[in-house]
Amino acid sequence: MVKVKIDPALFDRAKRAAEAAGYSSVEEFIADCIEKQIQRLKVEQDEAAVSDQLRGLGYVE
Amino acid sequence: MADEIIIVSGLPRSGTSLMMQMLDRGGVPVATDNLRAPDTDNPRGYYELEQVKKIKHDASWLPSMRGRAFKMVSQLLYELPSSQRYRVIFMERDLDEMIASQEKMLARLGKPAAPADQIRHLFTQHLERIRAWLADQPNIAVLSVRYSDLVADPADESARIAAFLDGRADPAPMAATVDASLYRNRKPEATRTDLVG
Repeated sequence: MVKVKIDPALFDRAKRAAEAAGYSSVEEFIADCIEKQIQRLKVEQDEAAVSDQLRGLGYVE
Repeated sequence: MADEIIIVSGLPRSGTSLMMQMLDRGGVPVATDNLRAPDTDNPRGYYELEQVKKIKHDASWLPSMRGRAFKMVSQLLYELPSSQRYRVIFMERDLDEMIASQEKMLARLGKPAAPADQIRHLFTQHLERIRAWLADQPNIAVLSVRYSDLVADPADESARIAAFLDGRADPAPMAATVDASLYRNRKPEATRTDLVG
């Protein structure tokens, strides 16, 4: 495991959100958020690459 | 059905122009501005509507499309406002055939093409995402049509499409539109193992 520093106020908000959402710990909640964000960015990058091909073919601007 | 918007969608070179032509011949009002002229890649025309590409910024024209059909590349389907109801005819084609056809078109246009393996992977993922998204949209009904099936059995496929459109299209002239000689970049039957959809 590695440690990451985040703003204490953000950590408190994450802790409250994790409890409200039923996560077993704030660490689990933060790890889940990071996983989802990585996935979202990957999808964005992939769709941008698809856009490049479609743009070349004249189907998107 | 009269209040619904008909959209022919799919990836480029999947048979969307052929489907638009079929709907046109079958009596469905189609929306096209004819700005993109017929060429070697689409000798019968593209049946495109320029404003479709701008839908992300302006969808005000959509209500005027009720009861009509237009063509929209799959990636733009995400931009459809949920305030309208749609019937989407989604064209599917063997990915290798489609990519080969796209590469020829890009070469003719003098544009670079992504490596085939890379774009194949990206298209596969894109199609999975768009299918899942479409399945979640209560205002969108979808009919998948395989290009290879359309060429192999135009009569049956046209009847299926006409039924999807509640009989608003005449299947006989639709079927007569299909010209198997335009099925280029066809993968040999023995190696066609990866039909999508």
